Amino acid sequence: MTAALSTHQLAKDYGDRPALEPLDLEVPEGQHVALVGHNGSGKTTLLRMAAGLLDPTGGEARIMGHVSGSLEARRSLSWLSDTPTFYDDLSLWEHLEYVGRLHGVAEWQGKADELLERLQLGVRRDDIPTTFSRGLRQKAAIAMGMVRPFDVLLVDEPFVGLDSNGKTTLLELLDEAAQVGATLLVATHELAFVGRVGRLLALRDGALVFDGPPSEADVHTLVLPS
Amino acid sequence: MSEPGTSIGFDALRDLRRRRKLHRLGNLDWFEAAYRVYLFGFFGGGAVLWISSSIKDTPVSDAVAADVLAHGPAVLGLLVAFAFMAGVRGGAQGGPVALEAADVVYVMLAPIDRRRALWKPAVQRLRSAVFSGAMAGGIIGQLAGRRLPGSTVAWFGSGALFGANLAAVWVGAALVAHTLRMPRWLATALGLAGVLWQAAAVGWGVVGPFNLDGSLALWGWRVRGYDLLAVAFTLTMVAVGMALLRRLSLDALARRSALVAQLRFAVTMQDLRTVILLRRQLNQERARHRPYFRLPAAGGSVGLTGSVWRRGWHGLLRFPVPRLVRMAAIAAGMGVLQGMVVRGTTPAFLGTAILGFVLGLEVMEPLSQEVDQADRADALPIERGDLMSRHLLAPAAALVPFAVVAAVAAWLTLGAHSDALVPALVLAVPTLLGAATGGVVSIVKDLPDPSSAPTQQTFMPPEMVGFTTAIRIVWPIVVSTLTTCTVLLPRAAYEAGDSVVGAAIRGAIGSLLVVLLVFQWVRLRDRLRRKISAFMDEGRAYTSQQRSSA
Repeated sequence: MTAALSTHQLAKDYGDRPALEPLDLEVPEGQHVALVGHNGSGKTTLLRMAAGLLDPTGGEARIMGHVSGSLEARRSLSWLSDTPTFYDDLSLWEHLEYVGRLHGVAEWQGKADELLERLQLGVRRDDIPTTFSRGLRQKAAIAMGMVRPFDVLLVDEPFVGLDSNGKTTLLELLDEAAQVGATLLVATHELAFVGRVGRLLALRDGALVFDGPPSEADVHTLVLPS
Repeated sequence: MSEPGTSIGFDALRDLRRRRKLHRLGNLDWFEAAYRVYLFGFFGGGAVLWISSSIKDTPVSDAVAADVLAHGPAVLGLLVAFAFMAGVRGGAQGGPVALEAADVVYVMLAPIDRRRALWKPAVQRLRSAVFSGAMAGGIIGQLAGRRLPGSTVAWFGSGALFGANLAAVWVGAALVAHTLRMPRWLATALGLAGVLWQAAAVGWGVVGPFNLDGSLALWGWRVRGYDLLAVAFTLTMVAVGMALLRRLSLDALARRSALVAQLRFAVTMQDLRTVILLRRQLNQERARHRPYFRLPAAGGSVGLTGSVWRRGWHGLLRFPVPRLVRMAAIAAGMGVLQGMVVRGTTPAFLGTAILGFVLGLEVMEPLSQEVDQADRADALPIERGDLMSRHLLAPAAALVPFAVVAAVAAWLTLGAHSDALVPALVLAVPTLLGAATGGVVSIVKDLPDPSSAPTQQTFMPPEMVGFTTAIRIVWPIVVSTLTTCTVLLPRAAYEAGDSVVGAAIRGAIGSLLVVLLVFQWVRLRDRLRRKISAFMDEGRAYTSQQRSSA
C-alpha cells in the first residue's frame, strides 16, 4: 500500500542552523498522527516541506506517492497553516467558492454552508476575513481547508485562538475526516489532543525523538527542549 | 475523494481574477488616483525640465561625437551588464515574480498547472519593467539627442528601445536564474563576470558581451542591423524563463509575497526608509550571527555615550559583506559624481546627495532600530533626544573608511591629478557625513511626535497632506544637497585661479556645520516641540480666558 505521506532523508537547514535533521518517515493511509515538540523544534518546517511550500535542503517528501508540490500531490493534500492568509478583497463566501472551484468541487455551496454553520461563521459569510479576529480567521481557514476534497490533511497549530466551541467543532471535523479515510498529521501544543490519535511523533531540535503510540510516551518530557 | 481536472480549476482562477479586477476598479478612488498622477506629473515633469535646462543645446564637437560613437556601446553596455547581474542575483534570491500571500496558499497549492497560473503575474512583471525602462530610456535619449547628431524623435525611440531591452535583460535573467534554481554564489559569479568583462571593454577596448545592447542606444544616430542580435538574445532569455515558469520556487514566492505587499505599501506611502529595509529583507540580507570581531569588555560604568557607542558597534560589526560592498560602491559612486561636478556636470551633485541619503539609511542602522522600537526608548529614564543623538556617533565613525573610498574615486575621476588629491581628501569625510545626515533626518522623522495628537494628520485637508508628503520626501534630500554642493567651491576657486585647498577647507567647514546642526536637531527636537506645544497651549488658554471674561 502506498504511504499517504513519506519522507526520505528530508532535511532543512538555514545556513549553519539545522532546522530539521535528515528524516525518514512513513505515514500509512488513514492514520491519525500528532506532531509535538517545543518551539523551534522543526514541526512547521516539516509540515511546510511536506506541503511543498518550503524547499528542502536535502531529501524529499511524497504525498500519496507523488513528490510534494507536484500537481498530483496538491490534488490530494490540504494544508492548514498556523498563520491563515486571505485575499483582502474577497468575502469569506467568495473565498470558499474560489477554493472549491479551484479544486473542481461542483457542489461546493452545500459543504461551505455546512462548515460555516458548524464553525458559527454563518453570519459573517459576506464579511472580509482579513478583518476578522485571530480566532475567527482560524475558523475561516479551517472552513477553507475542508471545503475541498483531500486524502491528506496537514494542520499546523489548529487550536490557537479558538474558543471552546471552535475547538470542539474542529475535533469533530478532524474525526469525521479520519472516518472517511483521510490521513491527518496535526502539529500541536495541545497535549490533550495527543490522546485522540493513533500515533505520536515528537521532534526536538530538528531531530525525531519519538515515534510510536501516545500511550508509550511521556509527552510532557518530549516537548521540553534539550 | 474526487479527482478534478486541471481545466476546471483554471477556469475558476480566470473567473476570480476577472471579478477581483472589477472589485478593485469599483473600489478605486478616482480622485485620489488623479491626484497622484497630477503629483507625479508635476514633480516628474519639473525634474525633466530642470535637467533639460541644465544640459546645453549646443551640438558636441566632432571629436566628442566620435568618442561617443567609439566608446558609447561599451559604456552603455556596462549598464546592461549591471542589469544582468542584478537580474541573476535577484533570481537566485527568489525574484522577480511576486504573488499575494493568499495566492501562494490557495492557487499554488491547488491542482492546476502552475505555469498557466504564473503566466499572468510574470507577464505583468515583464510589462511594467519594460514600460518603465522604455520611458526612462526615451526621456534620456531625447536629452542626449539635443547635443548629438540625429533627430530628437529617433533618439527618443532608440533610448526607449535600449531601456526596454535593459529591463527585459533584468527580468529575463532573473526568471532564468530562478527557474534553474541557480545557487547564489554562481549567480553572483556570473553577474560579476559579465560586469568585469564589460568593464574591460570600456577600459581596454576588448569586445564586451553587452556591446550590442549598448549600441541600441545609438540608433538615434546610426542604425546597425546586427545590434538586433542583442534583442534576440534577450527575448530568448525571457522565453526560456517563461517556458520554465512552473519551476519557480514556492518557498521563494511565499517568502516574497508578504514582503512585496509591504514594499508596495511603503512605495505608496513614499516611505523610502521602509523601501530600503524591505529590499534588504527581500534579498535575505541578515545580520551576521557573529560580529567580525568582538569589542573588548567594558569595565565599570561607561555612561550613556559609551553604552550607545558600544551598542552601535555591536550592530555595525554584524553588517553582512554584501551590505559593506554596497556601501563602498555607493561611496565610490558619490566620489565619481563629485568628480563629474568639478569637471563641469553641475547637476551631478544632486545625484551625490541622493546616494549620500541612501548611504545614511544604510549606515544608521542602530538609529533605525531605536526609532523602530520607540516604545522601548520611551521607557528609558533618558531624554529621547540625548539617546538618539548619541546613536549618530558610531555610524559616523564607521563612515570614515568609506569617505576614503569616495575620495579615491573622485581623484581618479579627475584624472588622478596630484593637485586634486588633497582637496578630495579634505572634502571627503565632511561631505559623506553631511550627505548621510539626509538619511538621519528621514529616520528621525519617523519617531512619534510627543507633543501632537495622533489624529492631527487625519484632519489635515488634502492639499496640506500632499504638501507635507512632498516635504517629507524632499526635505532629507535637501539636507544632503546642502553638503554635497560644497564641491562647487573648489571648482569655482580652480576656475578663478584661487587656492583650491583653501576652498575645499571652507566647503568642509560648511558641511560640518550642517552635520552639527542636524546633530543638535536630533538632540533637541523633542524638547523644542514640547516647548512650542506648551507655548501654543498657553496662548489658547489665554485666548479662551479673554473670551470668557469678555
